[in-house]
Amino acid sequence: MEGLKVLRCGVLSVVKHDYLPRAVAAHSRFELVVVADDADQPDWVHERNQLFADEFSVPYIKNVAKAIAEYDLDLVAVSSQAERHCELAVRAAEEGLHVIADKPMSTSLSECDRLVDAVYKNDIKFLLWNRNYLPSVIQAKEAIDSGVIGELQAVHVDFYFSKDAGPPKGTRKVNDPPIDWLERQIEAHTDGSDGGVGVQPMGELQIEGIYPLGYIHLLTGENVHRVFARTTSHFHQANVDNNVDDLASVSLEIGKGIVGSLCIGRIGAASHPDIGEIKIHAIGSKGGLVITEARPEVSIYYRDQPLSEFKNERIANENDFLLMDDFARSIDTDSEPILNAQNGRDIAATVFASLESCKIGAPVEVFH
Amino acid sequence: MIRLALIGSSEKAKIYAGLSTRLHRATWTVFAPLDSGDLSKAFGSLAKVTTIDDLFSQKLDDFDAVVVDADADVAERIAKEAMNLSKPALVGMLGQGAETIGAGNVLLMPAHPWRFIPSIQAVRRSVDTGKLGAPGLLRIHRWLPLSKIKSTIIERILPDIDLACWFFNEVPDSVWSLQSAVNDDYIQFHLGFTNGGMAMIDLAASLPSGGDYYSLTMIGEKGAAYADDHHNMNLLYSGGQPSAIRSNQGHAELVHQLQEFVDVIDGKYEQTVSLADTICAVQVVDQVLESANTREVVKKEQRK
Repeated sequence: MEGLKVLRCGVLSVVKHDYLPRAVAAHSRFELVVVADDADQPDWVHERNQLFADEFSVPYIKNVAKAIAEYDLDLVAVSSQAERHCELAVRAAEEGLHVIADKPMSTSLSECDRLVDAVYKNDIKFLLWNRNYLPSVIQAKEAIDSGVIGELQAVHVDFYFSKDAGPPKGTRKVNDPPIDWLERQIEAHTDGSDGGVGVQPMGELQIEGIYPLGYIHLLTGENVHRVFARTTSHFHQANVDNNVDDLASVSLEIGKGIVGSLCIGRIGAASHPDIGEIKIHAIGSKGGLVITEARPEVSIYYRDQPLSEFKNERIANENDFLLMDDFARSIDTDSEPILNAQNGRDIAATVFASLESCKIGAPVEVFH
Repeated sequence: MIRLALIGSSEKAKIYAGLSTRLHRATWTVFAPLDSGDLSKAFGSLAKVTTIDDLFSQKLDDFDAVVVDADADVAERIAKEAMNLSKPALVGMLGQGAETIGAGNVLLMPAHPWRFIPSIQAVRRSVDTGKLGAPGLLRIHRWLPLSKIKSTIIERILPDIDLACWFFNEVPDSVWSLQSAVNDDYIQFHLGFTNGGMAMIDLAASLPSGGDYYSLTMIGEKGAAYADDHHNMNLLYSGGQPSAIRSNQGHAELVHQLQEFVDVIDGKYEQTVSLADTICAVQVVDQVLESANTREVVKKEQRK
């Protein structure tokens, strides 16, 4: 720590989960100095930004360019509506600032490409938020890298979040209007199920697919080349009304001849006692590996326990800290972070190809 | 009391003989081995030992129904004989020749023991009782150790295809398969059902010798069921890294299957597994292999 600069971070919009800017604030190499957003954003955005700024005793500036000009920033943390992630990140990159952005990278692949170009052109570091430093994911990586299961041949991630997302499918009455996506996401902020906040509706594959596909990228070091996917709106009325998936399965053809799959869903709170069943399965030339992502955990049960409380509590989860450590190292040593802009763009390309595959009912090439 | 004849290997006979006391209203009376193993260790005095030829010519009065546990070729041949002789038969494992059997009015129950495994039965009950709501995704991982006597790929993938068709109560409308370029003993397939239902199944037969692994997850509209070996592992410490040892489900699947067969003969129960189920599963197996070979999605309207 001694001799290393504490990096000054501006938060560009903090309208959904605030785990990202909190992780920045919690790491000793970083300090939050300002929250900023565009003045033309709706009131609910300004309210959330102001609330976060107040909690951290930093100013809230309704002018991104002014905040960048006046606060001597080294980096920004972007946690806006999904469709604004790339735009805000590009504006920061053009000012020479490093960027940490929340997932999904964007709602459009062309925006991801624009960001990749900006990152390279301005020679800055970009980290897409991910879960690759969870203890079990690290364990999977170490086991595969050690060669104990031989050459990797297949990798599968089952990724089910047992969360609700508003009223269940089939509950809308005949004359009721369809659920407005953004209104539902704004309302969902209180229980943290607003991962898809933004104007444009997004399915679970698009919102959360980065996490399991991030694992696959980490474990294989390869891109996905071709996908075949099926998706459906199986659980939640908001997903039905907005024609986006809450359950998906994707067959993957990955580099080096590796095959695999991703099964993902927001399967409802009743479907698992904890946050969900999340597993990595890997087959190698000499054996196999079955990893539960939630380990290690501690089970806690007690009288009058609220139904909404997870009975099993994850422990020793240093993902957020390690991501920030990784990003500081990346800046200090001019190396690439664990999931950079190009990786994020390639994962987004896999997601968009999967959605296209589902639409046409055929396998789709992923262009890199 | 239903008198049962068994046709199978001596090794299998030991297992079936051990189930004698667990069967209601049925008993073993004749055993026709498919090999020359040590018969004294199989049924002992429980049943007469004879040949298959004698069973179907001279011993017809000694049994009411026949249980066949053999590979597909033998099973199909014996099933036809049993049908000709009007003997109810529980026959496994049937393969691509199942269509040629033609059971007529005689009870032919194809052996699908995987449906009777306690964990699978529990999942099925949760679907049947509506606890889970409409099935959405069936996810299966089945990993087997390398075997000196290799089963065919059809034998390996048929059980899980049957389970998928059984859980969704229909055949898939699309089939997509991937095989590993470097591992002939690996295949994964992706089945699509009407109303958005889907199944993703990966099957490897290349684990080092030792234990196998099975995991089945059924995600429904209102809930989910997880039948996963990973949850059912205990730990053994004997130096170095501990070993995982799976809690045994015994041979309950054979007991339940046999009892259903007996109960159907007795008229106490309706048959839950039919020859049509086997034929459907075999057709989907063909589509899975066709997709793997052609690298094309096989869709319902394209089927031969």
